[in-house]
Amino acid sequence: MTTTRLASTVGGRIDPITAAVIGGGLNSIAVEMGYRLARMSYSSIIRESEDFACAICDHEGRQLCEATQSTPLQSGPIAGYLAGISRRFEEVGDEWRPGDVVIHNHPYYGASHQPDVAFCAPVFVAGELVGFSVTTAHHLDLAALTPGSCGIVTATDTYAEGLLLNAVKVEDEGTRVESAWRIIADNTRIPHLVVGDMEAQVAAVKLGATRLVELIETHGLESVRAASEYLMDHSERMLRNQIELLPDGTYEAEGFLDGFLDHPDPAYSKLRIKVAVTIAGSEMHVDLDGTSPQLDLPVNMPFVGTVDVAVYVTLRSLLLDTVRHDAVSSNSGLFRPITISAPEGTLANPRFPAPTIARFCSGNIIADTLMRALAPVMPEAVAAGVGNLKVVAYSGEKDGATWVYMDIVEGSYGGRHGKDGLDAVDTLYANTRNNPIEDIESHYPLRVKRYELAEEGAGEGQWRGGLGSVRDFEFLEDGGFSLEGDGNLVPPPGLFGGGDGSAGSVLMNPGTDGEQSLPSKIAYRRVRKGEVLRTVGPCGGGYGDPALRDTAADERDAADGIGAGS
Amino acid sequence: MLFVGIDIGGTFTDLALYDSETEAVRVHKVRSTPDDPGRALVNGIVELCELADVTPDELDGVLHGTTVATNAVLEHRGALTGLVTTEHMRDVVHIGRHQRPQPYSVMQDIPWQARPFVRRAHRVGVAERIAPPTGDVVLALDEDAVRAAGRGLHEAGVQAVAVCFLFSYLDPAHEERAAAILAEEMPGCFISTSAGISPQFREFERFTTACMNAFVGPGTGLYLERLTAALAAREIDTDLLVMRSNGGVASVAEAAARPVTLMLSGPAAGVLGAQWAGSLVDRNRLITFDMGGTSADIGLVTEAGVQEASARDTQIAGYPILVPMFDIETIGAGGGSIARVDDAGAFVVGPRSAGAQPGPAAYGFGGDEPTITDAHVVLGRLDPERFLGGEMKLDVAAAEAVIDGLAEQLGLSRQETAEGILTLANANMAQTIRSITVERGRDPRDFTLVAFGGAGPLHAAELASMLNVPEVLIPPHPGITSATGLLTSDLRYDLMRTVFMVQGQVDARAINTQFEELGEELIERLVRDGAPRDEVKVDRFLDCRYVGQGYELRIPVGDGAFSDGTLDAFHRTHEAEYGRSSADPIEVVNLRVTATGQRPRLSRVAVGFGDLPSATIGEAQSVWRVDGELVELPTKHLLREKLPMDVPVAGPAIVFQRDTTIVVPPGWSAIAKASGPLMLSIEN
Repeated sequence: MTTTRLASTVGGRIDPITAAVIGGGLNSIAVEMGYRLARMSYSSIIRESEDFACAICDHEGRQLCEATQSTPLQSGPIAGYLAGISRRFEEVGDEWRPGDVVIHNHPYYGASHQPDVAFCAPVFVAGELVGFSVTTAHHLDLAALTPGSCGIVTATDTYAEGLLLNAVKVEDEGTRVESAWRIIADNTRIPHLVVGDMEAQVAAVKLGATRLVELIETHGLESVRAASEYLMDHSERMLRNQIELLPDGTYEAEGFLDGFLDHPDPAYSKLRIKVAVTIAGSEMHVDLDGTSPQLDLPVNMPFVGTVDVAVYVTLRSLLLDTVRHDAVSSNSGLFRPITISAPEGTLANPRFPAPTIARFCSGNIIADTLMRALAPVMPEAVAAGVGNLKVVAYSGEKDGATWVYMDIVEGSYGGRHGKDGLDAVDTLYANTRNNPIEDIESHYPLRVKRYELAEEGAGEGQWRGGLGSVRDFEFLEDGGFSLEGDGNLVPPPGLFGGGDGSAGSVLMNPGTDGEQSLPSKIAYRRVRKGEVLRTVGPCGGGYGDPALRDTAADERDAADGIGAGS
Repeated sequence: MLFVGIDIGGTFTDLALYDSETEAVRVHKVRSTPDDPGRALVNGIVELCELADVTPDELDGVLHGTTVATNAVLEHRGALTGLVTTEHMRDVVHIGRHQRPQPYSVMQDIPWQARPFVRRAHRVGVAERIAPPTGDVVLALDEDAVRAAGRGLHEAGVQAVAVCFLFSYLDPAHEERAAAILAEEMPGCFISTSAGISPQFREFERFTTACMNAFVGPGTGLYLERLTAALAAREIDTDLLVMRSNGGVASVAEAAARPVTLMLSGPAAGVLGAQWAGSLVDRNRLITFDMGGTSADIGLVTEAGVQEASARDTQIAGYPILVPMFDIETIGAGGGSIARVDDAGAFVVGPRSAGAQPGPAAYGFGGDEPTITDAHVVLGRLDPERFLGGEMKLDVAAAEAVIDGLAEQLGLSRQETAEGILTLANANMAQTIRSITVERGRDPRDFTLVAFGGAGPLHAAELASMLNVPEVLIPPHPGITSATGLLTSDLRYDLMRTVFMVQGQVDARAINTQFEELGEELIERLVRDGAPRDEVKVDRFLDCRYVGQGYELRIPVGDGAFSDGTLDAFHRTHEAEYGRSSADPIEVVNLRVTATGQRPRLSRVAVGFGDLPSATIGEAQSVWRVDGELVELPTKHLLREKLPMDVPVAGPAIVFQRDTTIVVPPGWSAIAKASGPLMLSIEN
């Protein structure tokens, strides 16, 4: 039998076919980690709200993939967590060893904020560090001053926000460090849920580590490394190609967050976020100079972990919007064309130990403001002003134990080119899920009395803004809550002639004699049985001249009971 | 007895007639008639009867896999639908889980917002409230409000209504009362209750399922009604049974009442057909792999039966759907999948497809993008003269031209590019198969890959190699596996109820009473639809989790009574699924009961054999990857129906069959088994 030999596909560098196969393998590891974490976890913030992420990183800590279930605000910071751990290891003379599992949540060492806790396992093959398996997840209660891990709005520094875990080994060369676990269990009001969730994270990172070793065994370390470089270069090129299409120049916008509307000092409210984007060729620089100074209350944003993620996720969603562009791998190469600067001492680059636990409020404004800055050069990719979110920690005592339930209240999108805004969704760099009412009421002494769209208040426009939600919780027993949110003061702005949307609100006991309007940051307060808390999400801004709106769209809105304008 | 199984696909309607006395199977294929799918079905039956020399009135059963309900959802063509729901909850179906389906997109549409089953104008809240944990009524149903809602919706021309109240899975009384009132106010209207479709918690998903059911209800009912009449007009007055997503068939009345259970009708029949093919050679651990023109459907069979989907993961066209379904993963890889270089130079295969028109370049209908089929042509795996039994001649030059275009972009040779297309497509499919095997603690080496559909047998052996699956099974009639699957189905009805009971406080008596009630109701339904009462098989299951977890795992209770020891199985299931168990208390979330009414079924089929010389029709050069290198090897061309019985044939070889082409790569051998299947196995 005669055979003709053809050229091998494997040359000096990786061929695109093998690279694509290895890329698929990496993604599927992250997805499997996410599957296991979601299914094994105990608290609704992970299993229902999916406020978590999973990723595999290379030996330098560069992210190579992410689980599709990840919320961007959890996956984006992962490389930063690893960098923070390495920095801490250098300071204390520690190092990564086979069999280690490290817990980390220090917001000035790469963590997004204190409740978002990472577990990281180094992966070794034949004694060589080849990568990391990492998950991050939001934990319900971690030794903050009042129950829950949101609405800690009176914390004056990082220490007041809860337990800081700065590159702590919970497994040391394969041995479980029981004393570290005891510190954690002793510092949460709900150890069963929090430790159970952490165990699920450990199971997920170990699974990811095992799978990465298998992938390397299948393809060889050299090929996996070459494919990793190829995939990061590819993602970079994807973004660069899109930036290059935009006209060079500097584009600016400013946005405002509520801050602390009931604070006696006016310097604590209507805080400014200033964005200037400079496009030069295939590079983009985002400068946050002009942003308000840092505060001794927790709306400051870690520069690494929140500010960078807000910028990256927004630019990616505009430049590589997944409905308009080819899919791109979520890896550290993607953001090489982007640089960010913010003066130290501002909300966007605070000095330790300025508090940061409620930083999502400000980060979402960065994202929205950045989108508005770019609107003139990419009008068909952006939304008009987006409504911000609220997070509520409900808590109480039942059968002698503390219960905590965390509820994420959605915002809405502004109108878009050719489309009205998305109604009542998690926005911009966050993408969690709500908890089913039937799950909430089955587990906590709460009753959800109303979950509807806000019918009035969408910004008028050729394409109107999206609608916020109205959500009422009744306490069936005495309890309490704390709340952090934003968007109660400045309505999401209209775009290209569209009208502004409407601000959100927080009300106690609406429609009763005891009705009381509350600000968007509420420190823990006790609530009596029968009292009702209402949250109203902002409605998005309008896009384009309202006079150009299709009359059929107006008629449909009218039939649906939706009135635009505030 | 004579039974006919009919699977209606987008292009062809496949029919299989089975005579249970002689075990003879007769197959037939006619062009589908998408404007009125029943026409092809009825005409096909008449033609098939003529071929088999029987008269239509001799038929004892017609079993049908349908895409009518599925297409209504995919194309969003359904009835004008209304929703009556708990006051202040009318936007639950619009807000959903408040998550954007795509995390990195501003311009996306959210299916339930952009294409709602029920517009807000037709969503009405009425005062009522049921509360957990036991379903207490904390606010009585406002019957006048329901009546007024019904009148208003009737005036608006609404043809179907979903009644969806919070916590109805704990007590459906409010939903049922409201449905009765609406039936009075809205004569002729199709009415679904959420607990009647799927009594389990998570309101957005349950409500959406009920709305989807209402949306497709009138259209599906009309289709089945017309079909019954058309069959009767041809003197086919036997039972018409319809395949559901759970792999059981249902009567027309049952299917018409719950059309949302028909969404995977065709693919479920395919899995059953594969399971049957496995039984011919005593294999019961199977990965089923149905690859057609645009996509591949992958399912799993173990000794416990066909793997069912977890309700948390099931969706149709992006909408959640909470009904029992086979766990069938669909990925965008088929013969028409397009290979290309993306915006930044990376290599991508699928999910974009050239479809049937223009189709692959090799079809010669003007397709100018390289597809998986073109890659097979270039590598010599599809014979241009024998495609579809020689009915369609393939254009080799056109296939080479499109592959060459891609090769230039990639900087690879023609063969490397074509082989790369197959490698990447196979890698994507292997990833999906790993997600339902390795990732759930199952070793693919213990499984047989059952490959069918037009393209499945082309890919099967190389896909199996990637997964270390040692054996591939090609069913006797790979192109009509779904139609044969229909002939192996039983009547199967399911019921479930959410209970929420924590270990230590589990009321075993209450569970057993509810199991009895659910079982009795199912038996009634099966008997009504013709199953002999004493032959009905009832199986009980519990969905459980550790207290605090959000995802349930299913454990079997068999047909016996529940006792506290029953829960021990959960720890083992958790360990198998996630690699660890816990000492935490277990929460029972759902009770499930499945009742099966057995039907006469396809057992074995007669197949013909020849000898190797008569099977061999030639030899040609084809390109293969051997030990990482691409090599061109002389490759035998063989005819499937002439293969000798039980004689192994070493690869590389291409085996031609009227409705598919089977690839036997180097290192593999093929053997035609007396019982019908062709088995491929890797040589040691």
